[in-house]
Amino acid sequence: MTFRATCLATVFAFCAAGPLAAQGKIDVAIIGDPDTFDPMVSTKDVVSIVTQHFMETLYTFDDNWQVVPLLASDMPTISEDGTTYTIPLREGVSFHDGSTMDSGDVVASLNRWKEVASRGMAIADQINGIEATGPAEITITLSEPYAPLTTLLAFSNSAAVIYPEEILADEIDEPIGTGPYKIKARQPDQYTQLVPFDDYSQPGAAAGERAQIPDEIRFIPVPDTNTRIEGLLSGQFDYADSLSTEAFERIEASDVAEPVLLEPFGWSLFAVNHKKGLMTDLNIRRAVQAALPYDDMLFAAFGDEKFFQTDGALYPEGWSWHNEAGTELYNQNDPEKAAEYLEEAGYDGQPLRILTSRQYEFHYQMAEVARMALEMAGFTVQVDVVDWATLAQNRDNPDLWDIYITHSPFLPEPTLTSSLFATAREGWANPEKEEILDRFTRETDPEARKEIYAELQQKVYEDVGLIKIGNFNVVQGKSRALSGVTPSPWPVFWNARKEQ
Amino acid sequence: MRSYLFRRLIGLIVVIFLVLTIAFVLVRLAPGDPASLMLGPDATPEEVIALRTRLGLDQPIAVQYLTFLGNVLQGDLGQSLFFNQSVTSVLAKRAEPTIFLALFSLLVALVIATPIGIWAAYRRGSILDQTSITSAMLAASVPSFLTGLVFQRYLATDLGWFPASGYGDAGASFAERMRHLILPAITLGITNSALILRFTRASMLDILGEDYVRTARAKGMTERRVVLRHALKNAGIPIITVVGLTFALLVSGAVVTERVFNLPGMGNLVVNAVLRRDYPVIQGTLIVVAALYVLVNLATDLLYLVVDKRVKY
Repeated sequence: MTFRATCLATVFAFCAAGPLAAQGKIDVAIIGDPDTFDPMVSTKDVVSIVTQHFMETLYTFDDNWQVVPLLASDMPTISEDGTTYTIPLREGVSFHDGSTMDSGDVVASLNRWKEVASRGMAIADQINGIEATGPAEITITLSEPYAPLTTLLAFSNSAAVIYPEEILADEIDEPIGTGPYKIKARQPDQYTQLVPFDDYSQPGAAAGERAQIPDEIRFIPVPDTNTRIEGLLSGQFDYADSLSTEAFERIEASDVAEPVLLEPFGWSLFAVNHKKGLMTDLNIRRAVQAALPYDDMLFAAFGDEKFFQTDGALYPEGWSWHNEAGTELYNQNDPEKAAEYLEEAGYDGQPLRILTSRQYEFHYQMAEVARMALEMAGFTVQVDVVDWATLAQNRDNPDLWDIYITHSPFLPEPTLTSSLFATAREGWANPEKEEILDRFTRETDPEARKEIYAELQQKVYEDVGLIKIGNFNVVQGKSRALSGVTPSPWPVFWNARKEQ
Repeated sequence: MRSYLFRRLIGLIVVIFLVLTIAFVLVRLAPGDPASLMLGPDATPEEVIALRTRLGLDQPIAVQYLTFLGNVLQGDLGQSLFFNQSVTSVLAKRAEPTIFLALFSLLVALVIATPIGIWAAYRRGSILDQTSITSAMLAASVPSFLTGLVFQRYLATDLGWFPASGYGDAGASFAERMRHLILPAITLGITNSALILRFTRASMLDILGEDYVRTARAKGMTERRVVLRHALKNAGIPIITVVGLTFALLVSGAVVTERVFNLPGMGNLVVNAVLRRDYPVIQGTLIVVAALYVLVNLATDLLYLVVDKRVKY
């Protein structure tokens, strides 16, 4: 064979070697590699998205964000005084190592959860004991009533997942769970490959069937948004998380893929430093609240009304927590009023430091619009734009910022929003708010809780505990051939089906 | 010759020592904490402190430096904070896509640049010469990420000729993995061809004006033989230098292209390591790249001996 012929043959071989089309394989592009497969120790969404396929909790959420049993066989029996939770467990549930789950595993896992998980540590003081009260029953005793307990036990980040007692340690490198899928292989920064767990036992009807339809689910970390979009549109990925809103129309026009709009996904907020600096003064906080042009900020950040809502309620319509208390203080866009507050505060021109990053471009864009509006109201503004790693460190030092910009999905239970607590890095301590929060966590009646939550929202606005900017939507994308995936900030793929 | 090699090896050790010290200091001067990044937005300060202790980041900087230095002397570049693997094994896994990408793109660059450079010099002042210089300027001016995005969108997504990104499935064959490198290699090759083209043209222009070329023509040799055998061989040294440097640059500098095409190579690794503040991986990659630079330079210098018998060390 001549040299030229060899070259041509090689090029042909490369071009002809198409990707292997495995039946029922789902490729999911996610925004980064999970740092860990132990969802107890991480509060990152990307960790939850992957680990929820192989790790399970006692409870989970149904489509309406109601808590329903998963590894528990029923909802807990709660004592009259609200301090004792007796949780029945499902029997015959297998771990991926072949062992069977019993109450000893659950007790040991929950004890670890309150020692290593930030959400578990937050209520550790209120837990008097976790005991096995039968081979398939555990009892949690609290020092005082704590209504959000079942929600915490259901949440998928900082999650109270159940491990076999034998593998529990400070650090778990190879997690063994009870989930419908198990890890087959992992190449850091390349993929995590999951395959069905043959001995999986289905949960009760409330949690919904986990049908294990795909033969394989691959989570592929693709940090660059554009690469996720091109991969989706070329048919390389069946699902892609977190795409840019600018690509919406292009994806919509594609024959291969379609956009998935999470409407609304979550809310962006200015977290306020209540520990040190300018924002410890209520008049300054109210000046910022009055000066900000919320709709302009949202428009600059998201570009099209299709992707945001100027909405002051901390939960949008459709959620049981939705109410309008205090929202008259939202979107005032009133520089004169802000200037009056500044005068009352005796503001001397000390720079207001806004800490942000371009990791999320919309944070930065909101900061730039806010800067202009605040300067018009009389503030001196210093926007500190740093990379995400620096922001993650600096926000823990109250000497370095007055406001930092962040966002959150709408969480199923308001107490999962850490900014509301005095123990959070923002340090919002207000005696009246603490009293409301205390009542809110003790109250077990859902209707009464809604009313107390309205009081809490009122207080958020009056005392400017945090500044909500607005709701925003997130664009994900899926192959047109894919069905069985419910749009969610934490999408699951065990019921995903791909037409061949 | 032996003493020359000895001097160069001493130089290599000094360079690596300087690089590892500067890398160590710089990454720690940069703000940002790996522990708080790893634990996520709602981690408590206590959790962060506990993780810092476990990772050994609570030790004084001097202690960390001495430990690091001691380990490097034993060939141990440390343990990645993120991967829970040794830096050497992480780097070894990432070397394949980067090295093959560098080789392929160098091949693309040479295939484009050498014939055009020779022809442009031979036909100096012609339309082809002018066009080649303009194209070289254009190729050098357009950043590789833009070329990459355009190729990705039109050749991969729209036409489906190539994979849009990645390095193949789990267990992908060698051919399949290499297929994923075609677009990135063309992207990088085009950008890097500009420099090689200009150097080839310039050295050929010098040589084609030499007396011995005129003599060769006077002896009745064919133009092809004059240009390819006599002129090109003597124009080789500057071309080899620039090819060597380009190769070293490609191994260390394919960061953007690897990012755009989501290739699991060393460039992507170092970007992720910086974003995650994975100190040992940043340091390890810098050391390997510095060593590679010095070694490629040394290899280039040694290649002069082969190309030009007059060179002596």
